[in-house]
Amino acid sequence: MGKILFKDFKVFNGTEFIDAREVLVDGERVSAIGNSLDSTDAEIIEGYGKILSPGFVDLHAHFRDPGGEWNEDISSGARAGAAGGFTTLVAMPNTKPAISEPSLVEYVLSHGRAAGASRILPSGCVSKNREGKEMAELLKMAEAGAVFFTDDGAPIATSSLFRLALIYTGKDHPRIMEHPEEMSLFKGGQVHEGKVSALSGLKGIPAASEEIDVARGIALARETCGRVHFTHLSSAGALGLIKQAKKEGLDVTCDTTFHHLTLNENAVINSGYNSRYKVNPPLRSKEDQAALWEGMLDGTIDAIVSDHAPWHMDEKDEPFQDAPFGIASLECAAAVIIDFKNKNYPEVPVEMILRKMTSSPASLLTEKWQALGKIEEGSPADITIIDEERTRIVDCSEWNSKARCCPWEGIALTGWPVMTFVEGRKIWQDNEDL
Amino acid sequence: MNAMPSEIGQIVWRHRNVIDVDCFTREELYFLLDQARHMENVMDRPIKKVPVLRGKMAVNLFFENSTRTRVSFELAEKMLSADVVNWSVSGSSHAKGETMRDTAWTLEAMGADIVVMRHGAVGSAQYLASKLKRAIVLNAGDGTHAHPTQALLDLYTAWKHLGNLEGKKIALVGDVLHSRVARSDIIAFKTIGCDVVLSGPPTMMPREIDSLGCRYEKDPRKAVQDADMVYLLRIQKERQQDGLFPSVDEYHRWWGADADLMKYARPGALAMHPGPINRGVEISSEVADGHQSVILEQVRSGVAIRMALLYLCGGGAR
Repeated sequence: MGKILFKDFKVFNGTEFIDAREVLVDGERVSAIGNSLDSTDAEIIEGYGKILSPGFVDLHAHFRDPGGEWNEDISSGARAGAAGGFTTLVAMPNTKPAISEPSLVEYVLSHGRAAGASRILPSGCVSKNREGKEMAELLKMAEAGAVFFTDDGAPIATSSLFRLALIYTGKDHPRIMEHPEEMSLFKGGQVHEGKVSALSGLKGIPAASEEIDVARGIALARETCGRVHFTHLSSAGALGLIKQAKKEGLDVTCDTTFHHLTLNENAVINSGYNSRYKVNPPLRSKEDQAALWEGMLDGTIDAIVSDHAPWHMDEKDEPFQDAPFGIASLECAAAVIIDFKNKNYPEVPVEMILRKMTSSPASLLTEKWQALGKIEEGSPADITIIDEERTRIVDCSEWNSKARCCPWEGIALTGWPVMTFVEGRKIWQDNEDL
Repeated sequence: MNAMPSEIGQIVWRHRNVIDVDCFTREELYFLLDQARHMENVMDRPIKKVPVLRGKMAVNLFFENSTRTRVSFELAEKMLSADVVNWSVSGSSHAKGETMRDTAWTLEAMGADIVVMRHGAVGSAQYLASKLKRAIVLNAGDGTHAHPTQALLDLYTAWKHLGNLEGKKIALVGDVLHSRVARSDIIAFKTIGCDVVLSGPPTMMPREIDSLGCRYEKDPRKAVQDADMVYLLRIQKERQQDGLFPSVDEYHRWWGADADLMKYARPGALAMHPGPINRGVEISSEVADGHQSVILEQVRSGVAIRMALLYLCGGGAR
């Protein structure tokens, strides 16, 4: 692999924009950052002032592989990620069979490598077969390459299992990622308990469902000195608890999703109950959405994730109440958030958003991957080029993902990734660009 | 029979599908009521048939059992001379293994002009309408969401008795949480200018009642106080198994409509119910069969209002 010189870019190093306008990649790594770098033997890519960012890191994506490959597989998911500017994607383990033993962790890794697109990192279940009973072989899965342990799709079934797993993994192993939900309050739920449930009669999922499980996780983190990462936060109340726990010094972290930051229950109502808005946790109130942005600004939220949940149209294109939960967003997520921020929070600097898509989530991965999410001399050349001026209409029919609908279908968004590199190799380029 | 408010004249009908009553303006509602009055006259003729839908094919697509609503639509269609097909599918669309998308395309391929659908899933009528290019959709109930023809027949019944409904008070008592009838009635009666008050067990009320735009009184006597209409919602006994109320007896004691409760309403207030009634649960026989009850008139109104809608949306007026 040769050299690439990126010229005339606004360089975001994972934390901030730096003065340098050029980045030199040699083979798989960044070899120099500066101005007027030596371009001998290098392919030159002119930026004309576009943003050069570390590749995006998504801590939470579903690829339905093994067991649901007609909805998505690791290869289509990895290519969807590449087309969305993501260079690292953490695959959730709630597949069929669930990823709860080392050979399946290796399955995800090898299929990810074979896809030749975004880097796919596996997560493993906390419990054997994701049954919520016995602890899975966590250490062996960690050795095989799992970067998180989670029973995502559901909370860890019992507090005793949650507690044991925290004690067992301690500080040295992948973090435990909790899907915060109190199942007896969820039962049969379809939408946020509030205006949308009142108007539709659909069974509501109260925000308290999330809050109660976050409170449980925090109590266990405190008692065990363990590390808990709460995923896809959606409610103001749960966020408040995490803010408090962080202030207390507990090792708890959290993420929210692109869709919870940019949509609320009104979207469900205004769509006439279109299933493309059906997701769990549900799109909550306007106030919850505003609280998520506050949590972004005050540092309570560590990462933005896609919770990419693709379905074949045969599954998803059904009346709201009959359709499965899940929004597929990888291929437009970056544009969705950049466009929304510029329209609704113009004063928020774009680097705040990018940080939570790069260095901040990368820091929650295992030791081996700590160099991701940064542009530094010697760091892996995972690079995403963003054109802040580019306007495109979201068209799911041309997606790499097998999903064919999303809440933003047909909407024009401004600010898109246009090129993606993993370890110095171009894995995607917007053909209409450059 | 009451005339319409004078400002309501002839209007241009712009609706093809009827998914819920929220698509109608106050003027359109009055226009529809007036049309229903004409249709009701047809019901009294020796030959109960007019040719406005002659040559049109109506399909009554019922995924849930509802003999009353289905028969009411079928009578309305037949009196308008439509060709009628009843397509009943028990169980959900998943259970029969066909997606609703395929059902919709099948209907269109068969040349249906009008599809009346009852389905257990919220959003199903809207969904069906979005998949049909030619046929129109009348929602005969989509899960807990909406039941527009029920709300319109309720409005028609009330209008026939009370005249101008502006400022009139209606108390809806019972399981609002699971009631598509309540949701559509709230919208219809509010649009036409009524004061809507809800009552029933707090566990059977939506948490954010404010978003429905009406008041809630736990005590039904307060809700019914000075009401012009007392509307009893059907209680499904399986809700007791869900733990939403402890016993039928306790429900009836607190929220069941008996002669005592009706005393709080205005003299001559109407007692209404969407049927089928559970005697001794949400309504006592003395009220159901009493002089204030308009329950059977509601049934008759249903045929008239469905004829009016079929005529206006189904091509007769367009």
